Amino acid sequence: MKLEVGNFYVKDVVFGDITSYCDGVLMINKEEALQVVREDDHITEADIILAKPGDPVRITPVKEAIEPRCKVSGGVMFPGVLHKLLPAGSGRTHALKGSCVLAVGKHWGGFQDGLIDMSGPGAERTAFSQYLNICLVADTDEEFERFEQQKKNRALRWAGMRLAEYLGNCVKELVPEEVEVFDLPPLHERPREVQQLPGVVYVIQLQSQMLEDGYNALVYGWDANRMVPTLMHPNELLDGAVISGSFMPCSSKISTYQHVNNPTIKRLFEEHGKTINFLGVIVSNLNVQLEEKTRSALFVRQLATQIGAQGAIVCEEGYGNPDADFIAVVNELTDAGIKVVGITNECTGRDGRSQSLVDLSEKADAIVTTGNVSEFIRLPPMERVIGELVALARDGNSGGWEGSVKEDGSIEMENNGMFCSDDNTGSFYKTVVEY
Amino acid sequence: MKKAVHYINQFFGQIGGEEKADFEPVIREGVVGPGMLLKSLVAPEVEVTHTIICGDNFFGTYKLDAIEAILGYLQDIDFDLFVAGPAFMAGRYGFACGEICKAVQERFGVPAVTSMYVENPAVEMFHKDIYIFSGGDSAGAMRKDVPPMAQFIKKLATGAELLPAKQEGYFPKGIRVEAFKHPAVPAAQRAVDMLLKKLNHEPFETEMPMPKVDRVPIAPAIDLKKATVALVNSGGIVPVGNPDRIQSASATKWGKYDVASIERFEGGVWQTIHAGFDPSFANDNPNIIVPLDAVRDYEKERIFGKLHPYVYSTVGTGTTQADASRMGREIAQELLEANVSAVILTST
Repeated sequence: MKLEVGNFYVKDVVFGDITSYCDGVLMINKEEALQVVREDDHITEADIILAKPGDPVRITPVKEAIEPRCKVSGGVMFPGVLHKLLPAGSGRTHALKGSCVLAVGKHWGGFQDGLIDMSGPGAERTAFSQYLNICLVADTDEEFERFEQQKKNRALRWAGMRLAEYLGNCVKELVPEEVEVFDLPPLHERPREVQQLPGVVYVIQLQSQMLEDGYNALVYGWDANRMVPTLMHPNELLDGAVISGSFMPCSSKISTYQHVNNPTIKRLFEEHGKTINFLGVIVSNLNVQLEEKTRSALFVRQLATQIGAQGAIVCEEGYGNPDADFIAVVNELTDAGIKVVGITNECTGRDGRSQSLVDLSEKADAIVTTGNVSEFIRLPPMERVIGELVALARDGNSGGWEGSVKEDGSIEMENNGMFCSDDNTGSFYKTVVEY
Repeated sequence: MKKAVHYINQFFGQIGGEEKADFEPVIREGVVGPGMLLKSLVAPEVEVTHTIICGDNFFGTYKLDAIEAILGYLQDIDFDLFVAGPAFMAGRYGFACGEICKAVQERFGVPAVTSMYVENPAVEMFHKDIYIFSGGDSAGAMRKDVPPMAQFIKKLATGAELLPAKQEGYFPKGIRVEAFKHPAVPAAQRAVDMLLKKLNHEPFETEMPMPKVDRVPIAPAIDLKKATVALVNSGGIVPVGNPDRIQSASATKWGKYDVASIERFEGGVWQTIHAGFDPSFANDNPNIIVPLDAVRDYEKERIFGKLHPYVYSTVGTGTTQADASRMGREIAQELLEANVSAVILTST
């Protein structure tokens, strides 16, 4: 399977008459863009506000991030979710690099939403402060969940995807500044010298612990809770086959932006044919019941073994209870003789003294850590807020509490509420060290 | 300039060897023995103004007296930092350094620094409380061990940025916090690099050392009919009023309560002091945490021999693994001495 991703490096985003891209400047016709947003009647109010690195801006509640992209050939954007079900991962996709659509609640947030500061000390806490953010700030008529702590955020997330595709379409006919080629043939068609390199598989455990539809990560539109682990081509993930869910404290979440830019997958591509034979991706899940956790771990082991994996990288989208799924997979793969490295965040408490994971194993001897979800963060007031700041304190945000937002606009929170800040796909340089 | 006080034992304090190990604590102005080296290395930011000398046996035998005497001496002087040792592989000396550092730090709120060999048992006991630098196993390492300690003391004195434990050279205190600088490499790259090393059988270093998992083998079967069974719990069941003042979270104490004459726990007489769950049900009926009522029935039915007359209680929430093991050992020792043959351990 071969995927070409044509990159356009956006250096500025402005509003203007025609949605277009020229010389690094993305121009957006706001009215036209909002028409795309309003295609869904559930969107009752909507605006687009730009937030750039260094701006004195705080954005919250952020529900999702999507890279503006379009399919030029070989499929559709977000198959099974935004468009009909077609295979993802081949043909040509164009991407507006450096820009990012954020779906932001105009008023209401929830457990799973996040916060981004575009400047100041908060900016170094999430990679999303470094993008040219096109904030879709909207409200919906989803009354059933307006005051719920757990929100599906469906109308906003889908509107974000439509907006990202609408923007991406403006470079559909243009010649990209750079083309990345992701070409990974079937296992048996690889040259002998590649086949002799150690086979490596990437395992991603998608957040899927909600029993009701609408909250979990989607694989081709299918709820990751209702599947057993499956083998996928890495290109499928880089091309929008996996959509972020709307559950889990935000720092642990993997946004759709991060799925299509998965740096671990890209890094494994770089090593493919040099130091490793990149076998593929096992898309697994995170479960509630022990039997489900065990079943998924057994499937991961079997798939990895059958395709001849000698090494594996396991990425967990979550913390706490899902640590049990993570450790179960590490144990099974290790018992199968596969060398494992895990990427996960940890929960060491505000004082940093708690045990990192809720489940432990001596077999988990190679872990890359991406953050402490309960790190206590105090941030000064910000000149402007996009969204509604009090949502952090009022709506049950996993990193906020009553009193999180001070009168002067300064905030106290836990990393839990920082937007996709730990990012277990590995884009960020944050880690945890021991004192 | 900041002021430091240095603690050493009778040997390094030039009082004498083993025969002087009962030497009671004294305080002296200026430095003695290894304090000379320390003094020269921490100057000019820090001055070592006093030295406390105490015999290792005295400290070990009369720990509370020794600590009180030393805290008394310190009460009257003005100091910012406390330094002990290095204690190398010396067990009693290491224990004294750890205990006094911890006590001084708690009483006066000043940071305490010492140094020992990794296998000194005091490292395991105190590394979470105080800065213990990784030192050599004998006094021959003095010239190598004091400089990193001194360097760190200067940093503490000047408020310079402290690096993670491994970089500074002390045993990690178990405080894991986020860092953005060490190292500035994206997690994906760190993971792939680590995997390549692992695949190539090269040394690699995890970023999240797993705490040691203590696996206890299942004990051999006992003859239940003859067994003396004890009830132990981490659910915080105590007489109302909590006479032993066991902490409601992060407990360091356990209590022992006579239940020889009662058939069940009555609400209002017994309670839970555990802060980790909604206590209303347990306060109504403490037997749902410690099943005294059910066990008494079994005793009458002669399913087992007899019930041990005491119930042992502590609180499990937030309690460190180290305190939990220590309390477990202490309780187990009592139970062994009372010939208890089985325990029903309930948590929450």
